[in-house]
Amino acid sequence: MAPSRGPQPLARTLHQTLKAHKGTVNVATYAKGTAKYLLSGGQDRTIRLWNPSVGTEIKAYSGHGYEVLSITISHDNSKFASSGGDRTIFLWDVTSGNTIRRIGGHLSKTNVVEFNQEATVLASGSYDATVKLWDLRAQGRQAIQSLEEAKDSIQTLHIGPTYIMTGSVDGHVRTYDLRKGELRSDFIGHPVTAVVPTKDHQSYLATTLDSHVRLMDGSTGKLLNDFKGHVNTSYRCRACFGFNEASVVCGDENGVVWAWDLLDATVLQPNPPPRVHDKVITWTEHHPIEAGEMITASADGLIKVWSHPK
Amino acid sequence: MTSRLKRKLNDLGVDTSASKANETFCLIGTPLPPLEKSRDTGEFVPLWKQEVRDEKGRRRLHGAFTGGFSAGYFNTVGSKEGWTPSTFKSSRTDRAKQKAARPEDFMDEEDLAELRDSQTLVFQNEEVDIAGRSLDVDNEQDSMSLALERALLPTPKDSPATKILMKMGWRHGQGIGPRLTWRQKKLQDAQAKSTRILTLDDLKLDPNEEDEEAQKHTYPRADTPLTVVPRKDNTHGLGYTPGLSLNDALGNDHSNPFGPQISAGFGLGALNDADEDDVDIYDPGPSSRRNLTAYETGDENSYHHSISQKSDPGPHMNASRPRNTPLQRFRNGEPVLPEFVLAGTPVTDDKWYPLEDVPPGWKPDPHRVWDEYDKENEPAAPVPIPGNKGNLTIDQRGQALGETPLPSKARSVFDYLSQKDRERLKNFVPPKSRPEEPTPIATPLSAPEKPPAPRQFVYPRIEPSAAKAALLGFKPFTSDPVKHARYTAYLKSESEVASDGDRLQLKQKPGQDLEHFQLELEEYAQAATVFKPLSGAMAGRFTTAKTVEQGPAVIEGLHTPSHGTPPTETKEPETKMEEPENAKTHAVKHGMYGVLTRETSVWVPVRLLCKRFGVKEPETEAREEDPGPSSKAHNEWEPEAASAEVELVSADSGGASSSAAVSQGTGGGDRPKPRDLDNIGLGEDETQGADILTYQRPERSIFKAIFASDEENSDDEDQAKAEDTDLQDTSVPAPSGPLAQHPKEDVQMDVDNGPVDPATFKPKFVSRAERTTDDNPPSKKRKKGKEKRKSGKALVSFDVEEDGEDTTGASKPKDKERERERERKKKQRSKDKDSRKGVDRKEKQDEEVDDDEMWVEKTVPEVVQKMNADSSPEPPKEKVETSRLSKRMRAEDFM
Repeated sequence: MAPSRGPQPLARTLHQTLKAHKGTVNVATYAKGTAKYLLSGGQDRTIRLWNPSVGTEIKAYSGHGYEVLSITISHDNSKFASSGGDRTIFLWDVTSGNTIRRIGGHLSKTNVVEFNQEATVLASGSYDATVKLWDLRAQGRQAIQSLEEAKDSIQTLHIGPTYIMTGSVDGHVRTYDLRKGELRSDFIGHPVTAVVPTKDHQSYLATTLDSHVRLMDGSTGKLLNDFKGHVNTSYRCRACFGFNEASVVCGDENGVVWAWDLLDATVLQPNPPPRVHDKVITWTEHHPIEAGEMITASADGLIKVWSHPK
Repeated sequence: MTSRLKRKLNDLGVDTSASKANETFCLIGTPLPPLEKSRDTGEFVPLWKQEVRDEKGRRRLHGAFTGGFSAGYFNTVGSKEGWTPSTFKSSRTDRAKQKAARPEDFMDEEDLAELRDSQTLVFQNEEVDIAGRSLDVDNEQDSMSLALERALLPTPKDSPATKILMKMGWRHGQGIGPRLTWRQKKLQDAQAKSTRILTLDDLKLDPNEEDEEAQKHTYPRADTPLTVVPRKDNTHGLGYTPGLSLNDALGNDHSNPFGPQISAGFGLGALNDADEDDVDIYDPGPSSRRNLTAYETGDENSYHHSISQKSDPGPHMNASRPRNTPLQRFRNGEPVLPEFVLAGTPVTDDKWYPLEDVPPGWKPDPHRVWDEYDKENEPAAPVPIPGNKGNLTIDQRGQALGETPLPSKARSVFDYLSQKDRERLKNFVPPKSRPEEPTPIATPLSAPEKPPAPRQFVYPRIEPSAAKAALLGFKPFTSDPVKHARYTAYLKSESEVASDGDRLQLKQKPGQDLEHFQLELEEYAQAATVFKPLSGAMAGRFTTAKTVEQGPAVIEGLHTPSHGTPPTETKEPETKMEEPENAKTHAVKHGMYGVLTRETSVWVPVRLLCKRFGVKEPETEAREEDPGPSSKAHNEWEPEAASAEVELVSADSGGASSSAAVSQGTGGGDRPKPRDLDNIGLGEDETQGADILTYQRPERSIFKAIFASDEENSDDEDQAKAEDTDLQDTSVPAPSGPLAQHPKEDVQMDVDNGPVDPATFKPKFVSRAERTTDDNPPSKKRKKGKEKRKSGKALVSFDVEEDGEDTTGASKPKDKERERERERKKKQRSKDKDSRKGVDRKEKQDEEVDDDEMWVEKTVPEVVQKMNADSSPEPPKEKVETSRLSKRMRAEDFM
């Protein structure tokens, strides 16, 4: 048995390989709730629904005219939203596979979409350096609000219960606090490609293009920890927390999955980690509940499901 | 109006100038019905429609001929049966009590409300006769002031409390409490006089003096005097009497027996304060004169005291106030007005103080005084003032106490920083600009600070590190090139000492004596210490200027244009731009995330967003700010904007797919003033009829769509319809025959009126009295005419096509004149419409004839007629227009 202290070792045994996408898989995300399913979107303009445990493709949603860059799933798993190279955001019905709504308003490609917790508001961050908040309850065509503080492309976005956090290429992580009516912008210094907050919303993980993953304190903006060793200079490589937020996992541009101890920022064994993908790992996501399950999506068109050896 | 028509009307006995004859029957547009909510509540309702309702909205009057006042359940009583029926019950054990019916039992709410209203309360601020003014007439006041007082002051009323007291037997002037016996009364009086507590035994009663009769009665208590404190409306201190000299104020001088002594009279009673102005209540006279008692001094007839006092005032009062002496005169001899009394004391006491004796030979010299003050202001010797602790620092205090000073270095700003901050500041320093070693500030100063008194040449030395730093830092002598060169040479020589053991020395300038050289070197040394670059965090904040401002270089001689490129300063703004980011990037470089990398600003989430997130709106100062047009447009539905949109849509697309256009919903913000829905169709609506007047003719395609399918030549009905639809499309027959000049004149008249103001223009028709006996609208008349036309040929219809047929077949001489009149009429109609539109018309001469009997033209104002007569030359433009009018457009022309 592993020692009680410290993070569990990363799931490094290949469980399934999901291959149906042609070209880069840009995003792969677990469903909400028990997270039995997986949605992935890629360069081939399709969104695919997978069963990662079995490794079968359940459904393909096609409708996008350009690559799919972001997918967000509503809390009840009944619908999801996707965005990409076309400036419209697609709102899909999961079961029927139809688009419920198409929301247009951005001036250029939309890098990220995100539901709020009740899926009443959809936030979308775009290359036009704005975040637009859309009301899904009403059928209006205008956004509720547009956050235009960013000076460069919005790369990532997260909606918490009372805040909206955006990461931009201008090197800032901006936290819009609804309750305080306050905008806290933290300068990271390098283009921010992914922001993943902790479950207690006190700190967040910022992946930047200087091959660093930083754990920042949300309340003060101080650097809590700095994770480095991987290579990430030009692609969006999303880092995430490992199980129980005890570790930080990030796939890099060489196709290597790195894992660090959250507290002392040391690279977990094996060091250096083996290369598992041929190309850039664009998305790493740990299973929200399961301890030993993780997915990586790569530019080689594969999504790999990892688990512990049985 | 033509003279012919006028004559005709006159023959018929119609007054053309009467208002009735000028009635207008022409309405433009269809006024919208008034909105329900804006109905005038004060609208006239005929009597029989009026309803009387009470405040709860119940009908008050109903029944026979609605005049019946129905009492009972519906109006007054709470149950259907009327007043609650009460059964009379009485048993042996429980006898029915005689229930006294109160009037309130038979009152309804209104009556009760009335009753409540009638019960008025006495308010506190009501005038209450506290002093019993009504009771005893103040005899001291003369008749004049009394009369004045009565006239000015409201009649005093007794307060309710007074009334109650009076009912209980109390009278004005008495004290409150149970009545006293004679003995008790005596005791009370004695008590009032003495200072100690007395008992009845102390009272030595002389039985002889006892009045038998007096002992039989009880007496009211002595009244407690009401202390009326005069209002203090001056700025003097308490107890100060203006105009009193020091002696007077101290009471040493008793030369004025009637001065403050009057205050002894104070305390006699509130009723006795007639001379209150004279009384100084703060009079610091001998205490014996003061009345220390709370009660009045009681003598035997103290009850009558106040009245008797009033009736015969004290002797001093009489003395000080000679009354009713008409012989009084002012000082200048003028007699005093009757009923006025000369004041005994002057209004203001002018006090004259004797001038100081100026010593002989004294000269005003303010400097003497100033110098004296300066001496005081000079810093006194450091005499420790024991009470002045606040001005001492800790060190000074320690010194004064003889403490051993703490082992501390020379204090610098950094000493006051915390260790953490100092470390932080150290981290700040870019390594290259950090000096090699901390430069002690004091040491280099030691050499030049040596007293120059011996004037021995001392070569001032500075630390090599300081010299190095000074070389990098600001050069103070850049404006003087020679000095600058020497300064740098000096610094270099000083800084290179480390490599050589021996220092190079700056040589004297030729012709410079030693003393000046010394001074110069000292200056350099000082400058080097002063202008060495800042250490620590401050160093990064300053940069030396890239260029030296030396003023405009003056070139002697004639100016020859130089071919050299002027120095460009393009780099300047770039560095400026980077400035704010630099701090942050610097912080990031050093991994100093936190305060330096964080910016916090106010951000106002839209209300809807907060609602969606289930978060209360933050209360920021910026809340009032508009959240922005994009969000606002979506945020709340604005009826004004929406209505404006609808209007736009209907105006532009001619009612085509308006709903789709509305759903597109781009806020109609460019309209200057959106229409208020509440006002449409009402008098307040400024824009009423505006869209009708500014009506733009639809495109031809629309006409095509409507009329294309029909065949024009056969279907005259359609043509007429088209005429109706397109308001501009009316016909004017060309002037012909002997009457031709009349229409021409009409047209010209129209022209002379100039451009028609659409806002004020209102076409008017004058009805002919004998035919228009009823007030039917024109459409009805038309129909009537049609019917008549069908029934008999003698009458001419209003309808165009029938008229056309009629005229084609008509060759009767009788009809001819009628026809001419019709033509004229027609012309008038078209002209009228013409002017209504303000657009030029294309008219076609047709055989259409109107029913001329229906409408006659309105009288042309005399002025206009005169103008017409005078203006013989017609403007050429109008000629063109009239000629163009000769052709009438058909529906096919629009295709």
